[in-house]
Amino acid sequence: MTAEQVVFVLAAVVTLGSALGMVTTRSVFVGALWMIAVFGGVAALFILLGAGFLGIVQILVYIGAIAVLILFAIMLTPRVMGDPNAPRYNRQWPLVAVMASALASLLVALVLRTDWPLAQEGAPTITGFAVELGKGFMTTYILPFEVASVLLLVALIGAIVIAREE
Amino acid sequence: MAQINWAETIWLLGPEVILTVGALVVLVVDFVRDDDRGPLLPGLTLITLGGAFLLSFTYLGLDRTALFMFEVDNLTSFFRILATGTSVLILLVSVDYVRSRSRHAGEFYSLLLWVTLAVILVAASSDLILLYLSFELLSITSYILVGWLRDEARSNEAAIKYLLYGAISSAVMLYGMSLLYGAAGSTRLEDIARTFSDPAVRVGTLDELVLPAVVLMLAGFGFKTSLVPFHQWAPDAYEGAPTPVTAFLSVGSKAAGFAVLIRVFLTALPMFQVDWAAVLVAFSILTMTLGNLVALVQTNMKRLLAYSSVAQAGYILMGLAAYVATDTSTLNGIAGVLLYLVAYLFTNLGAFIAVIAYEQATGSVSIADYAGMVRRAPWLAGALVVFFLSLAGIPPTAGFVGKLAVFGAAINAQLYYLAVIGVVNSVISVYYYFNVVRQMFFMPPPAEGEEPVRYPQAMGLALTVSLVGTLLIGIYPQPFLDLANVGRQFLAMLPFA
Amino acid sequence: MIVPVSYYLVLGAILFSIGVTGVLLRRNAIMVFMSIELMLNAVNLSFVAMSRALDSLDGQVFVFFVMTVAAAEVAVGLALIVAIFRSLGSADVDDAHVLKG
Repeated sequence: MTAEQVVFVLAAVVTLGSALGMVTTRSVFVGALWMIAVFGGVAALFILLGAGFLGIVQILVYIGAIAVLILFAIMLTPRVMGDPNAPRYNRQWPLVAVMASALASLLVALVLRTDWPLAQEGAPTITGFAVELGKGFMTTYILPFEVASVLLLVALIGAIVIAREE
Repeated sequence: MAQINWAETIWLLGPEVILTVGALVVLVVDFVRDDDRGPLLPGLTLITLGGAFLLSFTYLGLDRTALFMFEVDNLTSFFRILATGTSVLILLVSVDYVRSRSRHAGEFYSLLLWVTLAVILVAASSDLILLYLSFELLSITSYILVGWLRDEARSNEAAIKYLLYGAISSAVMLYGMSLLYGAAGSTRLEDIARTFSDPAVRVGTLDELVLPAVVLMLAGFGFKTSLVPFHQWAPDAYEGAPTPVTAFLSVGSKAAGFAVLIRVFLTALPMFQVDWAAVLVAFSILTMTLGNLVALVQTNMKRLLAYSSVAQAGYILMGLAAYVATDTSTLNGIAGVLLYLVAYLFTNLGAFIAVIAYEQATGSVSIADYAGMVRRAPWLAGALVVFFLSLAGIPPTAGFVGKLAVFGAAINAQLYYLAVIGVVNSVISVYYYFNVVRQMFFMPPPAEGEEPVRYPQAMGLALTVSLVGTLLIGIYPQPFLDLANVGRQFLAMLPFA
Repeated sequence: MIVPVSYYLVLGAILFSIGVTGVLLRRNAIMVFMSIELMLNAVNLSFVAMSRALDSLDGQVFVFFVMTVAAAEVAVGLALIVAIFRSLGSADVDDAHVLKG
């Protein structure tokens, strides 16, 4: 077992285990903590896959911003720790479990059966470094980049208009 | 890496530049001035939209790509015209509505401009990355607009349900996109088509990715166009949102969804038409039927129009499902979709404008409260009758012409059962539209409401424009038919069709 | 690649399904939201894995933008939840029935 394989297995276990923990826990707050663990696992996987920049962005944005914002919302609304008498699942949970297992099997089968058109073995030409992505954002992907900034502006305006105290 | 010719790019993206600059100017002016209730902000918005609308006509006949991902072709030009036109009418009716019910009129106008930009971007994207981003720009702006009346519980609730539904469907759509990306090694629609044009690929396992990818992506595209079973957000969102926003959702947002369907299926996956057309036929039947059946029992005008809107999406989809690639006549399905969208624009917007006018005056959207409208607001009642005739597809209205185009396309493609189901559904829809007419004309008005209904001039203008459009297309459809045909011509320039 | 790309894709598929489970199963709006984030992370993982396997930058660029959208969505979503909580006093999706549903 090489180091890469060990790290992969660890990251995979953390990611999937935390995900399951998140969807089954009674308390929304604890669920958010599991979610942070999932994000961390995914960040590790990104780095393993050679997407160093994205791994760091995952930690900064997903854990540092999105998870924190979600925790804020959880704190601002009651039933934070979960009312032990409130039902936590929808009534049809066995059906959901069956459907989800079916979906997982279908997707996994699809993914495993396909002969993905893999690039030639050898050193990959993409590095996943910020430099490379940055050049892309300023050339080929410039339009999506600008649209993304509009999107953030609109979200900002919207969040303020909707949420501020008046 | 090709160098970008900036001068040319700015010209090619003219309407979008105008919309962006306009939106920013509106924001700044709103920030600088304390009083945002005057005519300045709506006026600026109107000028921006008008400018973009007129400029859009100058790009007809082109086939260029701006900034590697934005197609400037006839389809884009069609949707530019449609989107800016829609937003002008929405603006006319939202001025009073927003002024009286919200403290943030300036931001509203700015968002209206951004959402128009989003519709155009969605229609013009030829790369999955830009497509996804534009799609989400449209969605997020819509969530905000739906929740605009932040102090009204039903607006909040509508918006959060819309957001959750939208986020789920877009995550599913993304998964589908990832499958296509994996197969083609690129996110460009053209490259996907190129990959699947290779006969060696068609017999391999990559082929089997396409149908699952299509079904997954339809979760997102179907959500925007309110196809069944992805329509469930629509009744609540339509009911809870400020009515001008509802009107926009039912026309502009839906149009963007159809633009995506056309572009993705015909640019990236034309060789799989046998597969996706079958899926679309099924969705079309499901959508028409369910939308109409549930509309039958509605007592709230906005919900009735929501389900009616869902059913209309089914009719529009029929055009795409019945697309015959080798047919270059008007009956090839795509022209039908485009023509129906124009007809639907005038008709549906008109119906909503009438609803908004009545709501402003009486505060009600309950069908029971429409009793006796003919005495209080004869012009509104009469206009509504015309719009309902059009929605039901009765001549001489725009709706009739639109339905003729899509049902004709179905027959042309030898999908006779599809056309029959469409006609049967149209007949069913007559019942619920004329239930409202019956209320308006034959039921006595409530005792206290005898004074006539007043509505602002801008609304009257928008109503008149919609009414004229609805009747004009029905009586003299040729120019609109030509416009739809022009839009369709982008198909001729596709490399892998 | 020492760990074949299909392992990552399988991981992504399973994570996606767990996210779907959360969406269908949980009643609290914030919980549903968090499950959507699981789904998005699963898609991101798939994109990055394919990007590596196909030696194509498109996948990583896509993921960057998906993260941007997710952040914007969370901001708007939570603004709405705060607003709805102000009006209704609950963040339970099933409790919200001012609209007929």
